[in-house]
Amino acid sequence: MPTLDVPEVAVVDSPGGSSEALPDFTSDTYKDAYSRINAIVIEGEQEAHDNYIAIGTLLPDDEVELKRLAMMEMKHAKGFTSCGKNLGVTPDMVFAKEFFAPLRDNFQNAVEEDKVATCLLIQALLIEAFAIAAYHTYIPVSDPFARKITEGVVKDEYIHLNYGEVWLKANLEDCREEMLEANRENLPLIRKMLDQVAADAAVLQMDKEDLIEDFLIAYQESLTEIGFTTREITRMAAAALVA
Amino acid sequence: MFGLIGHSTSFEDARRKALELGYEDFAVGDLDVWCSAPPQLVEYVKVTSPTGKTIEGAYIDSCFVPEMLSRFKTARRKVLNAMELVQKKGINITALGGFTSIIFENFNLLQHQHVRSTTLEWDRFTTGNTHTAWVICRQLENNAPALGIDLSKARVAVVGATGDIGSAVCRWLSLRTGVAELLLVARQQQPLSELQSELGGGRILALEDALLEADVVVWVASMPRTLEIDATKLRKPCLMIDGGYPKNLDAKFSGEGVHVLKGGIVEFCSDIGWSMMELAEMEKPQRQMFACFAEAMLLEFEDCHTNFSWGRNNITLEKMDFIGEASVRHGFSTLNLKPQFQVAAA
Repeated sequence: MPTLDVPEVAVVDSPGGSSEALPDFTSDTYKDAYSRINAIVIEGEQEAHDNYIAIGTLLPDDEVELKRLAMMEMKHAKGFTSCGKNLGVTPDMVFAKEFFAPLRDNFQNAVEEDKVATCLLIQALLIEAFAIAAYHTYIPVSDPFARKITEGVVKDEYIHLNYGEVWLKANLEDCREEMLEANRENLPLIRKMLDQVAADAAVLQMDKEDLIEDFLIAYQESLTEIGFTTREITRMAAAALVA
Repeated sequence: MFGLIGHSTSFEDARRKALELGYEDFAVGDLDVWCSAPPQLVEYVKVTSPTGKTIEGAYIDSCFVPEMLSRFKTARRKVLNAMELVQKKGINITALGGFTSIIFENFNLLQHQHVRSTTLEWDRFTTGNTHTAWVICRQLENNAPALGIDLSKARVAVVGATGDIGSAVCRWLSLRTGVAELLLVARQQQPLSELQSELGGGRILALEDALLEADVVVWVASMPRTLEIDATKLRKPCLMIDGGYPKNLDAKFSGEGVHVLKGGIVEFCSDIGWSMMELAEMEKPQRQMFACFAEAMLLEFEDCHTNFSWGRNNITLEKMDFIGEASVRHGFSTLNLKPQFQVAAA
C-alpha cells in the first residue's frame, strides 16, 4: 500500500518524540502519583493473597494449589513494597484500601454465598488481567529497579489467570449465567478503577488507552480459553469500554 | 491458515457495522471507546481454488479507523495488537490491509517486535505489495489498449514512483511492457534520481506537469487534497489507475475521456461467504478484494509461509511472476473497466 499522505490530519504525538523519554523518577510530582499507584499495587497483591486463601475454603480439593498462588502474591506485595522504598515513597495505603473496597465487597459477598465462579471471575480473571495490563504498560516506563521486579511478577500473574481459566472452563455449562452476571456487576467497577487511577498513571507515563486495551486483551483471551463465543465476549467486554 | 488484518474505512462505517453485528455498545461508543477496543477475530472463511485445494482463513478487525491516524500511539498499538492476536491464533501468513501496512512502515514498527509477552515473528506477515504491484501492472496492460491507448506510444506517469509498489510498477513497465516513456513523480528528489538510474530511464516531473502529458496515470500515493487540476487539460483518452488508499480519484477526475479504474483490486472466481469485505466498499464484496489480502491467500495456497512482501524496494520481477502465476492458477482475475467504456473506445 502507498504512503501515509494525510496532510489534513495533524499528528498530535509522533514516533520517537519526547513523549517516549522516561519520566523523572525523583520529581515530587512523580513521587506523589507513585505513592497511590504503588499502594494500589501492594494492596492488590495482598488482597489477591487473601482472596486465594478464601477461594481455598470453597474448593478444598484445590486448597494446596491455592495456598501456593496466595504465597506468590505475598511475595509480589513485598517486591512492590521495595520498589516504593527504592524511590523514597511512602505508599498511601488508606487510599488503596478505599480504591479496592467495592470489588472487595463483591468478592466477600460471593464467598459467603458459595459463588465460586463469581469469586474466580473477580480475582483470577478481572484482577489478574488488570494487573497484567498495568504491569505490561508500566514496564517500559519504570525505573530499572522496579522494572526487574515487575517483569518477574507479570510471569506469575499469567499462572494465576490460567488457574481461573482451567476451573471455569471445566465448569462453564454450570456457571455461564453466573459469570455473565458477575461480568455485568464487576467489569464496570474495573472501568471505574481505571478511570480513578488514570491521572496518576499518566504521570507515570502509562496511557489510559493502553491500560484499557491491554486489560481487555488479557480478559478476552481468558474468556476465549474458557469457551465463550466471540459474540458473547465482545458483548461482555463492552461493559469495560462504555464508562 | 491465512489471515487478513483489516479495518473500517471510517469511524461512521465502523459504528454502522457494529450495529449490524449486534454490538450496540460499540455502535454508540465515541472515538475514545474505539481507541481502547482490542482487535477482534471477526470471522473464519474457507476458500477453494479451481485447483481443488481448500484453505481456511480468518479476518481480524484491528478496530483502527482512519480518524486515529493523528494519534500515533493509538495507531501503533492497533497494528501491533492485531499482529499479536494473529500470531497467538497460530495463523501462518497474514496480510496487512488498508492503513495497517502504511502505519507499520511509516511509523517504523520493525523496532517494536516485542508486544507484551509475545515476540512478533515477521515471517508470518506480508504487506501484500508484490501482488498489488503485479495486479496494477496487469490492469494497465489490459485496460489501456481497450481505451485505444497504444502502450508503445504512451506516456505513463507513476505517482509515488519511489514507494514499494511504485518502484515495482516502474521496474515492470520499463522491462516487461514497451511503454514509450515513464514519467516519475514523487515528493523526494534523491530517491527519484536513484530510481531513474536503476531503471536506466524515465523522466522526473512534478505532478502537475506529468498529469498534462500522461496517457496513463498510475497513482500509488494518495492524492494531495490541495491538488487543483483542470480536467479539460488532461489528455483524452486517459486511463487513471487509482492504486492509492483510500481510493478517492473517481470523484475528482472521472469525466469524458478520463477513465478511473480502482487499482490493486482482484476478483475471485466464486463467492467467498464472508461478511467483512462490505466494509471495503467493493462493488461485489463476495468476490472482490484488495490484492494485498489475496496475496495472503495465494501464499497459503502455495504453502509459501514467509513474509513474501516485506520492507521497501524488495519486489523483484521474479517475485511478481511467482505471485502473478499463482493468482491466475487459483482463480483470481484483475478488476477491469466496465464494458461500456471499452465498447465506446472500440
